[in-house]
Amino acid sequence: MLRKLKEKIFLFSIAIATFLTILPLFHILFSVFANGLPVLMKGEIEFLTGKLAPPDDGLGGIGPAIIGTFLLTFLASLIGLPIAVLTGVFSAEYPKSLIGKSTKTLLLIMMEFPTILVGLFVMNILVLPMGSYSALAGALALAIVMMPYVAVYTEQALREVPFIYKEGAFALGLRRSKVVFRIMMGMARKGVITGILIGMAKVAGETAPLLFTAGGSSRIYFAGLDKPIGAIPLLIYQLVQQPYENYHQIAWGASLILMLIFLAIFIPIRLSIKEVRL
Amino acid sequence: MNAIETVNLRIWYGDNEVIRGVNLVIPEKVCFAIMGPSGCGKSTLLRSFNRLLELNEIARIEGDVKLFGKSVYDMDPVEVRRRVGMVFQIPNPFPHMSIYDNVALGVKYNKLVKSKKELDEVVGWALKKSALWDEVKDRLKDKASQLSGGQMQRLCIARALALKPDVLLMDEPTANLDPVSASKVEELIHELKKDLTIVIVTHSPAQASRVSDYVSFLYMGKLIEVGRTEEVFENPKSELTEKYLTGRMG
Repeated sequence: MLRKLKEKIFLFSIAIATFLTILPLFHILFSVFANGLPVLMKGEIEFLTGKLAPPDDGLGGIGPAIIGTFLLTFLASLIGLPIAVLTGVFSAEYPKSLIGKSTKTLLLIMMEFPTILVGLFVMNILVLPMGSYSALAGALALAIVMMPYVAVYTEQALREVPFIYKEGAFALGLRRSKVVFRIMMGMARKGVITGILIGMAKVAGETAPLLFTAGGSSRIYFAGLDKPIGAIPLLIYQLVQQPYENYHQIAWGASLILMLIFLAIFIPIRLSIKEVRL
Repeated sequence: MNAIETVNLRIWYGDNEVIRGVNLVIPEKVCFAIMGPSGCGKSTLLRSFNRLLELNEIARIEGDVKLFGKSVYDMDPVEVRRRVGMVFQIPNPFPHMSIYDNVALGVKYNKLVKSKKELDEVVGWALKKSALWDEVKDRLKDKASQLSGGQMQRLCIARALALKPDVLLMDEPTANLDPVSASKVEELIHELKKDLTIVIVTHSPAQASRVSDYVSFLYMGKLIEVGRTEEVFENPKSELTEKYLTGRMG
């Protein structure tokens, strides 16, 4: 009797703990929808394309920030993905080499590294010499944040391919490059693509690395790679610090857009990438 | 000329010596079986013939392996593996590729054909040689993972044959197959040895006696006995071999 009671109490406490853990997630989803949706309905299409309204004067739009987020994510991927994937391949192929071993450790440290320090670093090497915030600096900072995720996922995915396939490929007289990029990558593609998408989703929502690099822009869409550029998280951060009611509303709307972009990247990760059947 | 010859071959994994001075001569166009209990070094020995052992970082090799008189260590490993095909214990066609691509892959990347038409011919030829053609000719674009275990193994044989190798290494090719599929593979061996040399590793004396012309018995990394299959089975010279053949040691 007592044992059954204990078990019930145990189960109940686990259920409560689980509920408390996921509660914030649902609360965020709910409050962003509840506060953001009315703004979107009111602002209509102009909210997505227009420029920021003046203080206390309507909604305008967050067009420059949306364009900025897409551009920054794209540029960051352009810079970061090739390097990161190759790094992952290297540490999977040469796990016992000194470089392979240290790369793995460094990547794991980089993953947990405070992103604001990445921003500071890029400010020092790009923003100060160039004398201006720029899209390029923002993209570089995001690329640095993105790379360890992609590299670690790539490495992991390649290592999960059973050794028999690698042997099989080599036994056909294929060169190592062909074995890795045609066979192993093909079989590991789910993991690699997951890593890429997680990296992209991660940087699309990043604020800290952009603070000292991208600069932000809410009224100019795009002025050049060497000029400041906007980003949705950056805009939200800047808007909520303002005393104007309409800016707070715009921030809610922008949050909803950011969340939708994030979900749009994440849902395919879980659903559509076909697993390789062994 | 002999297809494969090993000279004082010794192989270590780290400090552990697994092949202890093996001198083996494998004639051309026969089926040569290497039998022995598990862990005796059969697979290791086989993998030294096509230099696949080098994928294992802790493996160290001493002595020599000659392919038609020429040391494989003087050759490009890619060239060695093109001429010495291999079929593995676990059927390992590339599951993300089509049946066609699995066979075409090695031919294409080794640049053995000049046109798509020629490639089609080679793929068809290899699938017919491996007795798989009738079962897959209408579904060449299907993923290899949709085949049954026995079909997968014959696909692996086709994949190896497509490179037109001189030697085919088979590492317990029927160990993971059902009896019907296994006997199909054994029939194939009889057919294939007309054109190329087959070296098959097996832990089953029964299988060795069914498929091979020559047989060798490997025990604890040493070559105990080698000879024509009938002779070894009827009249083993070594007591160890006799024990193994009569099932008093496995």
